[in-house]
Parts: sequence; C-alpha cells; structure tokens
Amino acid sequence: MFTYILKRLAIAIPTLLLLIVISFVLMHSAPGGPFTSERELPPQVLANLNAKYGLDDPLWRQIVNYVWGIVSEFDFGPSFVYKDRTVNEIIAQGFPITLTYGLLSFAVAVIVGASLGVAAAMRHNSLLDYAAVGVSIGAQVLPNFVMAPILVLVFTLWLSWLPGGGWQGPEYWIMPVIALSTSFMASIARITRSSMLEVLTSNHIRTARAKGLPERQVILRHALKPAMLPVISYLGPAFVAMITGSVVVDIYFSTGGIGKAFVDSALNRDYAVMMGVTILMGALTIFFNLVVDILYGWIDPKIRY
Amino acid sequence: MKIRTTLASSALALGLALQAHAADVPEGVTLAADQSYTFWLLDAIKSMDPQINTDVEGSDVLRNIFEGLYNEDGNGDLVPGVALDHEVSEDGKTYTFNLRKDAKWSNGEPVTAADFVYSWRRLANPATASEYAWYMELMQVENAPEVIAGDKSPEELGVRAVDDHTLEVKITTPLPYFPQMLVHASTFPVLQSVVEEHGDDWTDAGTLVGNGAYTLTAHQLGERVVMEKNDTYWDADNVVMETLTALTINDVNQGLTRYLAGELDRVDIPAGQYPRLKKEYPEQAVSTPYNCSYIYVLNVGEKGPEALRDVRVRQALAYAIDRDIIVDRILQGGQKASYNWTHWAIADFERPELAWADEMDQSQRLEKAKALMAEAGYGSDNPLDLTLQYNTSEDHKKIAIAASQMLKQIGVNITLDNYEWKVHTDRMHNQDFDMARYAWCGDYNEASTYLDLMTSYSGHNNGEFFNDAYDKVMKDSKTAENPQPLYQDAERILAEEMPIIPIYHYANVDMIAEDIKGLPQNNVNNNWYGKDLYRVAE
Amino acid sequence: MAMTPEQAVEANALVGKGRSPWSDARRRFFRNKAALVGLAILGFVVVFALFGNFFAQWSNEELDYNVMGQVAELGGPSFASGHYFGTDDLGRDLFARTVQGTQISLAVGLVGALIACIIGTLYGAIAGYVGGRTDNIMMRLVDIFMAVPYMFVLILLLVMYGRSITILFAGIGVISWMEMARIVRGQTLTIKGREFVEAARATGVSAPVIILRHIVPNLLGVIAVYATLLVPLMILTESFISFLGLGVQEPLTSLGALISEGAGTIAYGTTWQLGFPLLFFCLTLFGLFFVGDGLRDALDPKDR
Repeated sequence: MFTYILKRLAIAIPTLLLLIVISFVLMHSAPGGPFTSERELPPQVLANLNAKYGLDDPLWRQIVNYVWGIVSEFDFGPSFVYKDRTVNEIIAQGFPITLTYGLLSFAVAVIVGASLGVAAAMRHNSLLDYAAVGVSIGAQVLPNFVMAPILVLVFTLWLSWLPGGGWQGPEYWIMPVIALSTSFMASIARITRSSMLEVLTSNHIRTARAKGLPERQVILRHALKPAMLPVISYLGPAFVAMITGSVVVDIYFSTGGIGKAFVDSALNRDYAVMMGVTILMGALTIFFNLVVDILYGWIDPKIRY
Repeated sequence: MKIRTTLASSALALGLALQAHAADVPEGVTLAADQSYTFWLLDAIKSMDPQINTDVEGSDVLRNIFEGLYNEDGNGDLVPGVALDHEVSEDGKTYTFNLRKDAKWSNGEPVTAADFVYSWRRLANPATASEYAWYMELMQVENAPEVIAGDKSPEELGVRAVDDHTLEVKITTPLPYFPQMLVHASTFPVLQSVVEEHGDDWTDAGTLVGNGAYTLTAHQLGERVVMEKNDTYWDADNVVMETLTALTINDVNQGLTRYLAGELDRVDIPAGQYPRLKKEYPEQAVSTPYNCSYIYVLNVGEKGPEALRDVRVRQALAYAIDRDIIVDRILQGGQKASYNWTHWAIADFERPELAWADEMDQSQRLEKAKALMAEAGYGSDNPLDLTLQYNTSEDHKKIAIAASQMLKQIGVNITLDNYEWKVHTDRMHNQDFDMARYAWCGDYNEASTYLDLMTSYSGHNNGEFFNDAYDKVMKDSKTAENPQPLYQDAERILAEEMPIIPIYHYANVDMIAEDIKGLPQNNVNNNWYGKDLYRVAE
Repeated sequence: MAMTPEQAVEANALVGKGRSPWSDARRRFFRNKAALVGLAILGFVVVFALFGNFFAQWSNEELDYNVMGQVAELGGPSFASGHYFGTDDLGRDLFARTVQGTQISLAVGLVGALIACIIGTLYGAIAGYVGGRTDNIMMRLVDIFMAVPYMFVLILLLVMYGRSITILFAGIGVISWMEMARIVRGQTLTIKGREFVEAARATGVSAPVIILRHIVPNLLGVIAVYATLLVPLMILTESFISFLGLGVQEPLTSLGALISEGAGTIAYGTTWQLGFPLLFFCLTLFGLFFVGDGLRDALDPKDR
C-alpha cells in the first residue's frame, strides 16, 4: 500500500512537468502576448516589460527558471495583468472559494445522490423509482450554464430569497452548490441505483435475507458497501468535471473563484496565472485520483496494489 | 509675458467659478439614511495604479480614490480638482497650475506639486513600463517622446514644481484642449514614499494612499471593490455618499437581473433591451451619448486584399451597410448611425455636409454601391470574397452577421472571423485582416482624439491608410487658431477615401436607481465622481 | 462536462468479455424497450438533422427584417411567418438554425468519438500486443496523460488558435482516447493468447497485420459500446466550449451555442430561443444514453 502511494506520487512529478511544458509551449506560440494592447507599445517600454517578467530569455530557460522558482521558493511569479498581485495571492484568494463550493457540491451530490439511488433501488419499479430515474436523467443532461441563470431568475429576482452572486457568507453558497452539484447528483443516483439493484440480487444478499436479518440491516450492513464501488470509481472523473463546472459558477455567480481566473488568464495571456492554475488543477486531479484509488481498495479488499 | 486666464471668457472659467463643492444637494431634499452606491463592473479591475491602469472601468474606480488637477462636472465641463486654476503663457506652451493648499493624501500628508512631477515622470519613465506612457506624448509634454524612448532621463520631462503649490508644464505645441486632457486617470498623482516603500503591492487595500474623496477598503479580485469616504479629502464636508461598492458581474444579462432584484444601483442595459425597459421603468432606463465610435477598419495596405485598394470598393462597402437597422433594430439603445469618424457629441465639433450621408437615403446608397462594385469589375459572376474579423462579444457578433447579410446584396461574400481580443489585436497590428471591427473611445472631449488616429504616424492606424493630405490637415490643426474647419476637412477626406466604414456612435445605456442623484447627465466621457452622488429618501 | 465521465466508468466494467455472438446481442438489444425508445429518438434526431431543411422556409442566415428589433413580440414560433421555432435575436429562423446546430453537434460527437476510438484502439492494441517494457511505458504514459486537466488544455488551444472547427473536432477527440486505450489494452491481453492469434503468428503474419486483422475486429463490440457512450460526452464538451464563446464560427452554430444564447436571454420573454434547441439537445443525449446502455447490456452478458 505504502509503496503504491509512493509510486503514484512519483508519477505525479513527470505529469506536472509535462503539463508545464505543454502549457508553456502552447502559450508562447500563440498570437498576442500579455502586453499586446490596442496601441503598440514603444520598444523601450516593451523591452522593460519583457525584462521585468523574464520574457526575453529563451523558452527553455524560462521553463527552467519557472520550475526552479516553484521548487525552491514555492513562488509562482507575479501576475502579468493584475499588476498588484502575485499568482500565489490570486490563488490564495480564489482557491478557498472554489474549494468551499466544490467540496460542498461534492458532499451534496454524493449524499443526496446515493440516498436517492438506494431508495429507488429498494422500491424497484415503484413510482418513486420511476420518478427518481426520470428526474436524474433530466438533471443529467441539463447543462449548468442553463441552470445557473434560471436559479438566479427564480431565487433572486422572483422570490428575493438569495443574493444573485458574490461571495460574502453562507447564503451566497447555496445557488452555486445547487448549480454545480445537480448533474453529479443525478449521475450518482443512477449509478447507485443500478449497482444496488445488481447487489440486491446477488447471492450474499440472498443469504443475508435468508438468515432473517431485517431489510434495513441487510441494506446498510451488506449491500451498501459493495454497491458504492462504481460510485467511488466515478468520483475521480466527477471531480475533474467539477473543476470545469467551476468556470460556469464563477461566471454566473461572480464568486471570484479559480475557474474564472483561469479563463481570464488564458484570454489576457496572463502566462503566470494560467500556469499556476493549470498546475494546481493538475496536482489536485492527481491527488484526488489517488484518494479515490485508496478508498476503492479500502472498500473492496479484493483489490491488492 | 504671461496672461492670467482668470477665465471669464472661457467655458472652463464658468465651470470653475460656479461649482466649488462636491455633492450639489438641492434644498428641501431629504437624504436617505443609507448613503451607499453599488455599481457594476464587467470584469476584474486589473490595476489600481493610475499610471498602470488602461481600462475605462479601472478609471471609474481611480477617479474616486485619486484626484487629478481637474475634474469634470455633469456636463463634461472642467471643475477644480487639486488645481484651482491655471495660467497659460502667450505662446500657449507653458501652463502654470495653482494647486489648492488644503489638498491632503489619505495619510494626512499634503498634496504638493512635487507629487505631480513624480507621477508624470513615472508615467513617462520606460522603467515603469506603462502602457499609457504615450499619453504624455499625446499631451505634447516637452521631451516626452525622448523620455519614453529612453533617450533622455525622466528628470528632463517638461514638468516642474515651482513651489509646493505651483506646477509648471511645458508643452511643445499649443494645445487648446490641454486642460481637458488632465481629467485622464493616468495623470493622477501618486505618493512617492508609499509607491517606493511597497513596490507593486502599494495598491493593495489598506496600503494604498490616495488623494481622492474615497479610500480603498477592500478589493476582492473579480468579486468586489469597496471604497469608503475619505475624511482627509479637502472637500470631505460636502461628500454625501459614504460607501461606493463595485460588483464584478461577468455576464451583462446577469447584471441586469441583479439590478432588477435591487442588488445594484447602476448597470448597463444589454443590446436590444432598452425599449422594453424604458417602457417598464421610464425613470430608470436612460441613454446618454458616449464618447466612442464603432467602425470597420479596411486594410488598405500592402498586406490587405487588392480589392480594398480600390476606393470604389471601399465606398461600396460603406454604402451597402444599413446603419439604421443596426442601431434601431439590433442595439436599440439610443446609439446613432454614423457616417463619419468623430463622435457627434464631441464639444465644438460639427460634422461637415457629406453627400452620402445627407443627400442619399439607404436605397440610393445601395444602388450606388452596386454601381460602384460593377464599375470596379465585381458582380454576381465575379463576387468579391472578404473576411470580417471581430473580437468576441455578443453585440459585435450580431452586427457582423447583419453586416455580412447586407454586403451580400452587392455581391460581397463575407466570411466571419471571430477571435479573442488579444488575437484580434495582434492580427490587426500585423495587418493580417481584410475588414476588422474597431472602436475608439476618446481620451478627452475634443475631435482630435479621434482624428489623430488616422494619420500615417499614429500608433493606431492598423489599416495603413497613409494619406499626405490628411496628415497635413491634422498637423495644421495643431497650431490653428480654430482647428474645427480643419477637422471638417479631415472628415471629408475620410468620407472620400473611406479607409474606415463608420457604423455607429456609442451611447451609454443604463439602468440607474431612481433614488441615486448626481450622476452626470450630459458628459460624453461619462466620467462620474462618487463625491457628486447622493441618495434621496423614498 | 456533467455526468459524462460516469459513462466511461460504466464502459470500463465491460473489460473481460470478448465473446462476439452478434446475433445474441442483437436479440438482447431489441428486447430492451428503453434501448428501442432511445433508438427511435435518435433516429428522429438524425432525420431532423439531415432532412429538416426541406421543411424550413428560411435559410439559417437570412435576417427577417419584419421581426428584427421586436423579436420578443413578433419572433415567436408561428406557422404563419414560417418560423416554426421562432427566431433568434437577429430575426434568423430558429428552425433552420436548430437543424444546423443539430448537424454540427452530431458531427462533433461522431468525429470526436471516432478520433478517440481510432487513437485509443490502436494505442491500446499495440501496447497490449507488444507487451513487456513497451506496454509498461505506454501505459505509464497514459497514466500521465490522464492526470492532465484537459478541459483547460482545450480552452487554451481554442483561445490561442482561434475557433476552427478542425481544432474543435480534433481537440475534443484527442483529449478522450486514454480511457479507450486502457480498455482495449486489457482486451488485447486476453485475445493475444487465443489460438487464432497464435496460428497467425506461427505462419509469419507481421505484427501490424495481426493487430489490424485479428485483434481489432474482435474488439469491435467493446469499441462500439464505448463509442456510443463517448458521443454524448463529446456533445456536452462542445456545449461547454460554446458557452465560453469558443465554439464554431458564425454563421455556423451548434446546439450548445444556441442553448447558451437562449439561456442568457431567458428573462426577456424569448423562451423559445432556449426551449427548442434544449429540447433537441436533450433528445439527442437521451437517445444516445439509452442506446449506449442497451448496447452495453446486449454485448455484456455478465448479468444473464
């Protein structure tokens, strides 16, 4: 187990390096730079800007310097566009926000989704089952960029219950979490339902029932754990998709999170911020996949690393 | 010898004399208990540093936390800021500003002429690497080009503190509109000690020291900016509004929804929604002229398509586009169809009579366009293929689609090319386009802010329209007693040569909460100051 | 976006079943009601995309000047005006645009899935067939690629190089072949030891020929299932890209682009601009999900 984790972490390093190189090359080969402005800058000003941000070095040297800055001082450099911020500051401001609504959405999706799935499976072919399946299929295909403006329209404009955006306190969290979690909740409900149905017809559940255990106990003790396996393997990809979804949340709810910062940095050619966020997201993806794998192994003792 | 312009004659003087205090609350008005104003920003503020900022939205914030030599009132006329008044030398090349003695920084230090000298040098200094360094050049400040190019030291810039409260500026050519240029945020003073102590971080909330009516208390990037009333401001007694809050909302439709939900006091109206809102909220929906002009730049240079070097084709393209449809059916917000470059509401400017604008209606223009295309050798059997490039925006997209359909009528096949702003700009700089969407917002309220752009020596002439007659007219206008006739000549040349296709002149189309008073009604630059605002009780 | 990764995981569950009793599968598929409904829906959407234009009274780029400027009042769905689905903000016929958007969305889905399948199959089959250290390196590389947040890379690509439909197709395909490669590799490992492969090798058939002639055809079932599940994933990805304004160029459009336009103006009384494209978007995805699930059940005899 321990060596497995070490191995996985060892892979993380080349992955991140690859990510850095890909992004660097992509960015620098693109038309327009961070200092492309309506009026072309005087050569002297441009030279100074390039020198200030180290853009006058050859590309390989920039990459080396960049990586060295991170390794030696955990310094991701200054933002090229937000002149009074460093990348570390931008991430320090935006990431806790993204993390808050991301984790909340994750929790809501897993808890509500799994409960819904179990309930539907237990009352297989009942009205509840059909309703759950219908709703979850619908929720699955409804893009969150459709959901977000509808939420604002209903809860902010018509009902005046919730603020339409911003990030000042718990009441600002509700709509982002709904918008972000719904489709994942639906997916989890569907996966849980079908895997629960499968488990419920399996031999060991039949045995448990034959022993006369109460249904409640059968479900919680014996069926739930194996039924959650496919759900857990879904969590890795779901997490990655949620990162993407944060872009929509940030745009519609002005949360000031990291998703919008990334899109902006790509549009503004804010090289440093773009690199910083990409690396952060890459590292998180790797980390999360690892957590999911460990969780998987913990639930299913058959798996050996 | 210097002439003291006590200004009795000029418009400037009237403004200066009349308004001496901030918010102009009429008698009998009951103020609301809550004096806070919340406005909309489309994007995060990139910098709070006056010499670094390049955005209109950034300037809106900067005008409240800093104060330059002059401010503008609701009509766009100058009112005293840090400067009380000024004298101009006889040759029009030396300006001496008398600064008020009670102006203070938010840390209590007095604002002096030396602060302006420092800031202006900082703007021009290539070490600052300001993208707006050229503004010093535009102001014709002595030695500015050499300083920006690094050939002279910033100390040689033509600005000098005679004493603590007297600032002297030397310019190379007399510019009648020089004072108007001083409301621009890049000329605002900054405090040397703070800038040097904190480096790039000096604009952080809490660290930033300004001389405006407000201080920056919070700046949550991409979420909100909060400014509180500054008690050290010289006119703090007359500042009514206590708090200014800017909310970043990246989607204009979301902005409107949240305005209607009462979260904002002012928001832009998305294209096409003004008529409906005007009907539903007649007191809140307002449209005022705004100092920007929307055009399609034609690439007439070496790298452009051969067809566009034919003036007949250029005219035909301009004639075939029905501007009335664009302003009346797409934008619908009180914008004006334009047949020339300079915005119609620019002070003292009057568009010359232009045949294609004044003597023809759209069907005649369309006929003429067809005839011109035929004459140039194009037609249904030999269609002209062009690309129309625009930067990402819902409105630009709509206009480009409509324009491409209109140009189809004269046998021009348009391929739409949408790029992100940076790519769009980069391609324009490299003359890598046929037709490209462009807009210019005047830096000050005078026609040259537009017309200078089309000279061969301008840094913005991406279509490479090089015309000696035009250059001459613009050069002559700099020294002319009355430049207006020359400006009209310049517009005539543009209409004749048609290097750009005018589309429309901007308007500010806003929803403004009914209880907010003091926003400018008639200021083409739409420069507003929080110190002028107040909220009345319901 | 959204639920789609789940499909990948479900497809994963298939690994290990190499039997190809196609007739059995067909029978099982046609006994599955949900799958048949899905097939019917999908058929309808495809017919709509291919032949819808015969019924359209307007082209997808003509501006209806009668409607333009008063779309909320006059641009609603109407048979009289010939705008069955109403018009967009410029007075362009939404029916024709929905037809066109469906075409593009389906094309993005199909081409993207095709690219992913080709790369993934070849990569996986080569790794599995060659085995040994090559396999090890190739699969470690896949591990590395899988940890890259691809949506970000795709955004980068589109922002940097402008919105070309080729980049969109290729980009969407290129970012999603890794899962496929893993599945195919696993399958290849089991097939590799079978008699017919051994026989081919013994008679001196070259490795590329064995992979293409003997291994890949035996994987078609898995590939088909996975591909069906990939298509909706591609369509959803495209819709997200369109939401960011990085999708196809006007006057072309996609369902994602139409939906995102319609969603933006939802408060302005032009709900048809969201409703009709969203309907076809959902129908397409439902159809694909049901068919994909049906195919999986039919080709995967695990539960029977």
